[in-house]
Amino acid sequence: MTEIFSIDPLIIKTPYEIEYKHSYGKTTPFFTSLSKGKFMTTRCERCKVTFLPPRADCPYCLGETKWVEISGKGKIHTFSTLHYSGEKFLKDLPFQLVYVELEGVDTVFLTRLKTKHPEKVKVGMKIKLKVSRDLEWRSSDVWAEPDE
Amino acid sequence: MVAGGLTYFSKARKDKTQEELAAEAARMALFENDINLGKDDIDGTIVSYFSDHFENQLLFGSIIQDYLGFNPKPSVRIEGGGATGGLAIRDGYAHVASGLLDVAMVIGFEKMSEVNTAKGNEFIALASDTDWDFPIGGFYSGYYALMAKRHMEEFGTTEEQMAMVAVKNRNNAQHNRFAQTNPKMNPFAMKDAGPITVDDVLKSPYVATPLKRLDICLMSDGAAVAILASEEVAKKITDTPIWIEGTGAGTDFMRAGDRPRTVGGVPLLPHEKKEWYKKLEYPGVHSFRAGRESARQAYKQANITNPLKQLDVIELHDAYTSSEIQTYEDLGLTQYGKGGKLVEEGVTAIDGDLPVNPSGGLIGAMHAVGATGVMQAVEMFWQLQGVAGKFHGSDKTQVKGAERGLIHSHAGTGTYVTATIMAR
Ligand SMILES: [Zn+2]
Repeated sequence: MTEIFSIDPLIIKTPYEIEYKHSYGKTTPFFTSLSKGKFMTTRCERCKVTFLPPRADCPYCLGETKWVEISGKGKIHTFSTLHYSGEKFLKDLPFQLVYVELEGVDTVFLTRLKTKHPEKVKVGMKIKLKVSRDLEWRSSDVWAEPDE
Repeated sequence: MVAGGLTYFSKARKDKTQEELAAEAARMALFENDINLGKDDIDGTIVSYFSDHFENQLLFGSIIQDYLGFNPKPSVRIEGGGATGGLAIRDGYAHVASGLLDVAMVIGFEKMSEVNTAKGNEFIALASDTDWDFPIGGFYSGYYALMAKRHMEEFGTTEEQMAMVAVKNRNNAQHNRFAQTNPKMNPFAMKDAGPITVDDVLKSPYVATPLKRLDICLMSDGAAVAILASEEVAKKITDTPIWIEGTGAGTDFMRAGDRPRTVGGVPLLPHEKKEWYKKLEYPGVHSFRAGRESARQAYKQANITNPLKQLDVIELHDAYTSSEIQTYEDLGLTQYGKGGKLVEEGVTAIDGDLPVNPSGGLIGAMHAVGATGVMQAVEMFWQLQGVAGKFHGSDKTQVKGAERGLIHSHAGTGTYVTATIMAR
């Protein structure tokens, strides 16, 4: 039955739900290698650029990239502590977002930082990537922790 | 450009549907500007709105076209995130310059209030990469906070300087009757808004460090309409047409983290020197390469070699106080790294050398996404005609003697940016 929010002007409530069958296409190995405890991403040998997130096709030369393993170690490029978010992540607040510079990777990678000492976080701090034991097959299966 | 119209902007315009808001702005454009032009003289429309999600209605452009009574004339929908309105103005210009339309109406609108604020933020975050960036905690204020923090780290920009941007724009809005933060003049305004101080900004709660509640733009319902005409028609229908002298558009990687960090890689504007940026990694996540590219093209077309001197007024996309500072640098108003100083020195204040966002911008006036870039064109049009005071209901917003201005429209973390030069 339609729920009415207001009479004048007439405002009704209309819910909407949907399920997608979403393909990760050729970036699938990133996710499947996580279950083996490895961080895999792609590199264009022609342009000498390693991308994370992986791209099957190099945006600079439009050639195909190759899979390479990376260590998952690096440092913080920039960070923010979130006290508010979109609806989906309100339950997680507060949490920290970071861009990290990783060994062997030319892009900076957006992930969460999990630390017991958020007040000690600073740009340049050493981190390593961690993988969730219960994979949800989302980019949030990976996060950064301080590497001390 | 020959006419412009706006609605009152509000957190929630429950009194009207989207198409009724568009009609409100269209009516002002057609009947409250000093032009000899009728509704039937419009040859076609460019419809500018961002999200199909806010109303769960696809093909809204068709509803607008029929509601405003323009069938069977041509119409096209333009969408490009936060830059939707700027891209629509560019498209209107292209339609007229190519001769496809003699008179084009650009209709921008958004109604963001029909979902709750957190869901609205989630919809906006769906305009980030949903495979990689959104699942991490997708929230645009978080993305811009990361960029702002890097700008502070790289250049020493401070939270006080960011607060000064908020105060400037919010307080400018107190003289603009359309502005959402102006409860004295706008019957649909936020009742608890009004003027603010640097202290208010610094004491407002953190949303995503270093950004606080008052560093962040509004979410709005409302519409804006601009009418563009060919040179020949414009000269016939008005004594005070405003000319589009140049326009540019730039783009960058959807995920800001994928952008290059090329040492000394700044594309230079005519007045800049290579040695300024020898050591700077560019664009990284601290600067908007798309903004620089849009300015470079627009300046070239409009023969602008010293923007700070040659421009009299700017309306730019202050989604965040940090992004206004970053944009000063992209537009070459000052060197990269010195944007914070520009606001500190009062250069961009309403009585400064180059006022920025006299309307109040996205922080003080509105951000009804698809309407925003069109609102900037309308504001610039009134500024250059010298009638801003008449439309705003206060002469305090009019930049005296303004002859040439720039409007700047910007989408998600700098993915699409447009810059357009308008002149008397
Ligand atoms: Zn390549």
